[in-house]
Amino acid sequence: MDFRDYQAIDFACDESFQRYCVEDNDADISFWEGWIQQHPGKAAETAEARRLVELLTARQGGRLEQLLHLKSGLDHYDLLQALTAEPVAGLSTPEPLTLPSPAPRFGPILRYAAAAALLLAVTTGILLTRSSRQPQQQMAAAISAGNEPRKTVVLPDGSSIILRQHSEVALAPGFNTTNRELTLTGEAFFDVAPGARHPFIVHTTLADITVLGTVFNINACTEMSGIEASLFKGKVEVAWKNNRQKKILLLPNQKIVINGNGQTTAGTDYKVIPLDADPVNHKAKEINWVRNRLEIENEPLADIAARLQQWYGIRIAFADEEVKQYRYSGTFESETIIKALDALQLSYPFSFRMAGDSIIISR
Amino acid sequence: MSTAATNNTYWEQVRHGDKQALFALYNNTYPHLLRFGLKLCGNDELVKDCITQLFLQLWGRWQQLKPVTNVQAYLFTALKRHLIDQLAYQARTHTAVSNWSENEENELSYEEIIIRVQQDEEVRARLHRAMKSLTPRQTELIRLKFFEGLTYEQIADRTSQTVKTAYNTIYDAVKTLRRLLK
Repeated sequence: MDFRDYQAIDFACDESFQRYCVEDNDADISFWEGWIQQHPGKAAETAEARRLVELLTARQGGRLEQLLHLKSGLDHYDLLQALTAEPVAGLSTPEPLTLPSPAPRFGPILRYAAAAALLLAVTTGILLTRSSRQPQQQMAAAISAGNEPRKTVVLPDGSSIILRQHSEVALAPGFNTTNRELTLTGEAFFDVAPGARHPFIVHTTLADITVLGTVFNINACTEMSGIEASLFKGKVEVAWKNNRQKKILLLPNQKIVINGNGQTTAGTDYKVIPLDADPVNHKAKEINWVRNRLEIENEPLADIAARLQQWYGIRIAFADEEVKQYRYSGTFESETIIKALDALQLSYPFSFRMAGDSIIISR
Repeated sequence: MSTAATNNTYWEQVRHGDKQALFALYNNTYPHLLRFGLKLCGNDELVKDCITQLFLQLWGRWQQLKPVTNVQAYLFTALKRHLIDQLAYQARTHTAVSNWSENEENELSYEEIIIRVQQDEEVRARLHRAMKSLTPRQTELIRLKFFEGLTYEQIADRTSQTVKTAYNTIYDAVKTLRRLLK
């Protein structure tokens, strides 16, 4: 029988579909996610089938989301241990950094509320743009993408940044010891690690953007002497450079466009509008340049790493020959290399850490 | 290697500070812990939270962990303790807690569990009515399929009937439920 002829009951009684609903098997998950996406006409039937399965399984499942809660909880725990054990390392410290686990951008849509508040993750992402170049101030460290289409950098606080071609960030002196501030020229995607000690602030020509917590992204497209920032989840505060009193709190699924040339016809120099969602996959178009869809069919990790290295623009090395031969299958879509590696880790574990400007994978 | 032996290996690795082994142990035991917890309290969110807390705590004191012969049984007991603590703290379900003796006589029935995890009163009422319309045989097969997660083949084996009959019984039951839940 062809799945296209299936009714809700047929889906609900299909064993592969059931495994997908309770997240029992990675192959079933990726199959049904793909199938459902390709057959929007069946969306009502599959959604009803899913509700039936959820009802009858007493809402079992959610393993993948819960696993991420556990991981971020552990990262918090480890971070706390590290903070109490020794003074925080500065940028120049050569020791490898452990990477905090970011929230997932994959997996089926889960219908129940999130777990305990104390375990809630914990990443924030910002994508910002600026067209005109900032005069160089005294900066501790500058990182530039140059001619590479994308370049990934992991900062000493665990945040990761993907820089777009010809873009640059300059970290303020004392980054991660006395502050978490940086200046952006161009366009970048920020995946900000949680850190209660110092707020994460991105300076641009027209405005400063402060990460206020929880999970979100900001996105911006290049526009003549303006900035544009989009938020998916959580909160950020946008403060004007030329008027410190002027502040806007962005809400999820909003973007702000600030015009550098003065007032618009509406009488203000900015507007807040909804995100530009792609009609097919409902993902915001603002971060198309950074999102990577990875389709893997029984490939060794060495080959996958080579592809990731090329897309994200960061060197990946192996500390262990055996890990190179681990094989994976599945479809992953992620904004950052850390999310991509985290997704892979779920089906067969390995470790990775940051050392200098490389990611090192080991058993 | 059997599941129990695999869990023992992971346990030993966790005792030596291997975080990946903790995740592997988590993945291996998650469905079992979840089902166990649901039978005790019928609150999926609480159970999921407590499972996470349980593993966080294990990691917090991996140096003090002792060798364990039956890892799953150990985790069941630990999870039960977490659930009791949580419920006692919430002081919502005094009766439920005092009913839990050391033996597991007071498990919730399948119908009670699936109704309890629903938060909407309207859905609960409809589900209650719908489940009543099933025959005991249908209810049992639905439980084996969806709650215990058995395959049609395993169900056929266990209930001495053909796979086709098992499938048809479940299909008809789901059809009835769907109609009554609409």
